Amino acid sequence: MKKYIFIFKSELMSNLQYTFNIFVGFIGYLIMLFILFNLYRYLYSDSSEIINGYTMNQMVWYVIFTEILWSVSGGRKFCSKISEDVRGGNIAYNINKPYSYIGYSLASHLGEMFIKAIVYTILAMIMGYLFLGMFPSLSILEILALILISFIAIVISSLLVICIGLLSFRIEDSSPIYWLYSKLILIFGTIFPIEYFPKAIQPILNYSPVYVTTYGPARLFVNFNLDTFLNILLFQLIYLILAYLLCALMYKKGVKNLNVNGG
Amino acid sequence: MPKEGRFMAIITVKNLSKTFKVKLKEKGLKGSIKSIFKPKYKVVRAVNNISFEVEKGEIIAFIGPNGAGKSTTIKMLTGILYPNKGEVNVLDINPVVNRKKLAYQIGTVFGQKEQLWTHLTPYDNFKFFGAIYDIPEAAVEKKIEEFNEVFELSEFINTPVRNLSLGQRIRCEIVASLIHEPKVLFLDEPTIGLDPVVKENIRTLIKRMNKEYKTTIFLTSHDVGDIEKLCKRVIIINDGKIVLDDSMENLKYHYLNKKIVEVKMREKVNLDNEEGITILKDKGYNLKIEVDITKKSVTDALKLLNPENIVDINISNIPLEDIISTIYKEGI
Repeated sequence: MKKYIFIFKSELMSNLQYTFNIFVGFIGYLIMLFILFNLYRYLYSDSSEIINGYTMNQMVWYVIFTEILWSVSGGRKFCSKISEDVRGGNIAYNINKPYSYIGYSLASHLGEMFIKAIVYTILAMIMGYLFLGMFPSLSILEILALILISFIAIVISSLLVICIGLLSFRIEDSSPIYWLYSKLILIFGTIFPIEYFPKAIQPILNYSPVYVTTYGPARLFVNFNLDTFLNILLFQLIYLILAYLLCALMYKKGVKNLNVNGG
Repeated sequence: MPKEGRFMAIITVKNLSKTFKVKLKEKGLKGSIKSIFKPKYKVVRAVNNISFEVEKGEIIAFIGPNGAGKSTTIKMLTGILYPNKGEVNVLDINPVVNRKKLAYQIGTVFGQKEQLWTHLTPYDNFKFFGAIYDIPEAAVEKKIEEFNEVFELSEFINTPVRNLSLGQRIRCEIVASLIHEPKVLFLDEPTIGLDPVVKENIRTLIKRMNKEYKTTIFLTSHDVGDIEKLCKRVIIINDGKIVLDDSMENLKYHYLNKKIVEVKMREKVNLDNEEGITILKDKGYNLKIEVDITKKSVTDALKLLNPENIVDINISNIPLEDIISTIYKEGI
């Protein structure tokens, strides 16, 4: 475990050079937030109205939270990095080191995203407060529980992205698969909560990655409930194990058939 | 070939083969579309039934032209690629079965691939490598101090790697690969792109590393200087097969028993059809010939030129580069 903490730390130290870029990147996040804020203001006739179980303030906080999780996951760049590692043969240079490639990629990605997570959370909370003039009411313990759930959500997202990236062992380019996956997550759970979708597909979404990576944590943020917390945590643990096993299996099979010519 | 039983083999390779399946595509758009629905593959034999052993503490040159199978062999020795046939054993570990265990015992440096974190300093990088090889922090500190002294790093140990010159970076790459005290070090073109002075520094470092830490070094390089100055034994691979495995001395003096004689003469001499002599350059009074000393001694060749007729003379061995090129082209 110590080596993965060191990988995390080294990546974090490296990325301190890019703090300014993170602030610039936040402008994009802010524009997205502004568009959605206006969309909800249009949907809700007044702030006390409840649509599908959410007040307008809850909807805005919901989307602020899911967008933080989404931005901090940095999936597109991460997926193309894994994919490039496989296709370009870079993976070979990680194979002969005494760590697991999946552990290395995960620790390094989390290290890369750590400062972004802190910067985005602080700035997004300030922006949310400026838009709405209030915070969701949460106790210290609930905030700690939320941090745990959010952390696991990002880990699961990262593992799923690694799985998609590792598809490059089989197919030339995994980016179309990532595009499909990202759009599904974005539509079903990032911009709108699961309750906004037809009742027929809600059970499917409740078992999908949407529940453990975006919807669940954001739902807790706007309306914390111990039962929901435990339920999300249980599902997250199951997803965590399954996503890791899938990654490990894909990696093991892929490496066996690895073709690295030249060099 | 090295005599059996004379040494302790640290690397053993027996009848090793590796094939790759390469996708074929017919030309043009039609070919591209066809390859989606009916892909065709051809099998490329990158390494073909090779066997060799490496002794503990040796610096061995493993060379060959591009595409000969050098990198594929190194990748099989380090557990990156799985062989299709044959056996590999490095430090009594089978890389296929126990890659991770082997990783703790070996080091790798690829001249064309950065392993260091460019935004971090060499010091932080060395600490990082210490951590991934599970070395206690105090031991890593001690090791860094020792390397700092032995390999003279103090001038740039706290400068981010991205600000180092290529020579300093390669120096640090090599030192980083030694943090866990590997018993075998695989160096893949460590001096590529370096100027002659820095090349010499890196060679000194490699020699010192071999002497001080008894590290076995498996070197691939296209730079004849690296091979000539560092290695006592050379294995040449071409087209996936080993075409030569011998000492550097034998390579230089036994396989191609030829001398180059360059002379400036007072009068022209005709050496056409002389057995054992090949004319390389004939510019009237300046002559460059190659003497095959198995057929004609240098003294006899000089007699043909007439010593009294010679104004200036230079006798040299065939450059190693030419010997190697000949072996690449023609085999032994």
